[in-house]
Amino acid sequence: MSFVELSHTADVKIQVRAPTLALIFSDAFCALMQTAFGTDRRAGMTREIQVTATDTETLLMDFLSEVLFICEVEGQVFARASVQTDGKSLTAILEGEPFDRSRHAGGTEVKGISWSGLAIARNDNEYVLDIIFDV
Amino acid sequence: MIEGVKRTGINEWEIPLGYIPGMRVPGRFFLSDPLAAMLEEGAVRQLANVATMPGILQNSLGMPDIHWGYGFPIGGVAAFSLDEGVISPGGVGFDINCGVRLITTPLELRDVAGKGEIIDELFQAVPTGVGAKSSLLKNSEKSLDGMMLQGARWAVENGYGMERDLARCEDNGCMNEADRREVSRKARQRGIPQGGTLGSGNHFLELQVVQEIYDPAAARAFGLAEGQVCCMIHCGSRGLGHQVCTDHLKVLEAATRKYHVSLPDRQLACAPLASPEGKAYFGAMAAAANYAWANRQMITHTVRQIFSRRFGIGYDEMPLVYDVAHNIAKFEEHLVDARKTRVCVHRKGATRAFGPGTPGLPAELAAIGQPVIIPGSMGTSSYVLRGTAVAMEKTFGSTCHGAGRVMSRSQAKKRLSGKEVAADLARQGILVRAPHENAIADEAPDVYKPSGEVVGVVHDVGISRRVARLSPIGVIKG
Repeated sequence: MSFVELSHTADVKIQVRAPTLALIFSDAFCALMQTAFGTDRRAGMTREIQVTATDTETLLMDFLSEVLFICEVEGQVFARASVQTDGKSLTAILEGEPFDRSRHAGGTEVKGISWSGLAIARNDNEYVLDIIFDV
Repeated sequence: MIEGVKRTGINEWEIPLGYIPGMRVPGRFFLSDPLAAMLEEGAVRQLANVATMPGILQNSLGMPDIHWGYGFPIGGVAAFSLDEGVISPGGVGFDINCGVRLITTPLELRDVAGKGEIIDELFQAVPTGVGAKSSLLKNSEKSLDGMMLQGARWAVENGYGMERDLARCEDNGCMNEADRREVSRKARQRGIPQGGTLGSGNHFLELQVVQEIYDPAAARAFGLAEGQVCCMIHCGSRGLGHQVCTDHLKVLEAATRKYHVSLPDRQLACAPLASPEGKAYFGAMAAAANYAWANRQMITHTVRQIFSRRFGIGYDEMPLVYDVAHNIAKFEEHLVDARKTRVCVHRKGATRAFGPGTPGLPAELAAIGQPVIIPGSMGTSSYVLRGTAVAMEKTFGSTCHGAGRVMSRSQAKKRLSGKEVAADLARQGILVRAPHENAIADEAPDVYKPSGEVVGVVHDVGISRRVARLSPIGVIKG
């Protein structure tokens, strides 16, 4: 995992650096899970999701929004994700467990993924993502 | 002050045309010098971004609790022409109709001695925090439709309140434009188990005491008296509202391109008010707003039941002072170029503050103005104000919504310990209950601007006037 939380007054701003787009997606996913449920998240059951979109930023938005929906409606918390993507579609294998108030209540409810400040840049040897979660 | 911003009066500032390319109107905001020193460039930029949107009228406005958000700044207000204007979820936020209400009781502080027990009972009864679901409600598809179409009225008709509560909600707790067909299956799935839950983040249920009355006539009309114990509830439309925003942002993103709208921030995705996409979002947003009013009404019912049982007071001895929305877009009539005009007002982290005589106020408050409820933070005062004619002239009948954050949540967690904050508040006679200590550090008094300073600005500028100050005695954090 390589993400850092940057300063943002009202919400949670995350920066992810990774050598591949797939890792950018899976690290952004981990940042989202850590924000919402804290660090004590365990793998157990698996869940596959597929998403397609017109561009990479929208794909990331749709992926993370779908994960938020699954967590809330199915009461799941995920430890990690294995992502395969070409930037327009993705398949993710999520590994997680049922929500447990005793270990997962230390997070902050994420209301949505914001377009404001969302940027995926590519340098010589890595991708850099900036993203804001509304909490 | 940030370069390029001009002072235009005491506590009044302007972002001139040309601050960023494409601005159609100037930005205007209200800050005292101490608050101006805390202003972030990002918030000014966002206020300027809003000024580029099609059909914006007069000014892109910032209230004194302005801070950097997403899309609109928090504390942002903008009105749009019905002919040329747009509607944007970025001007409402994910938590549609996040709002606040105040209930009075006939009790005084000495009557709630041993208040720890009542705080514990409320904490047990009102589901809070991450993953909170309602167990007290028999929510179903039919009740969800009722919540979305009728708002607070659905709750009252189903035993969660009194008929007279409705007149004390903004718009009687219901937007008639709600269209449940525009609310997705996913949003419905999120909404059903969460009716009657408080949520997380900055949401709270607080017991307070009226400490000071500034305007005796208005306080009397609002039912407030010094020493009285009150209950303030702050929450919104929960996962249903969040999903409505997420779903329609996607539609409006495409609509922005379809209607050739050029925007500096994708979160400002919008569509003409008269377009199918704009109407669809408005109908779904109104449904989520109604859900939020019903939600606050259900929590009110739980509070009244517990107070009634524990203190032997009547359910009807706990009237609602008022319920205001913080994140919403609405059609309202305002003076534009000296002519009464129907416009679409977006308030994102801002409160409606209708002045005396404005249509829609209950008859007994018509001469006073609308009650405005401004929550403080856990350790600082909350305020009740009243709407004014000045707000109708300057801010499309709007004022601030709270204190406004100055410290990020990550900084708060690094610098503050939830346990220490709770112990410090306990020494001040304020008991705090939360599902996790992180929720206390996140929302500690130090992370917010001083509420008195923010309220002082809206009072001095005249866009609302102080009526009473309340201080917390017990807090349930979401």
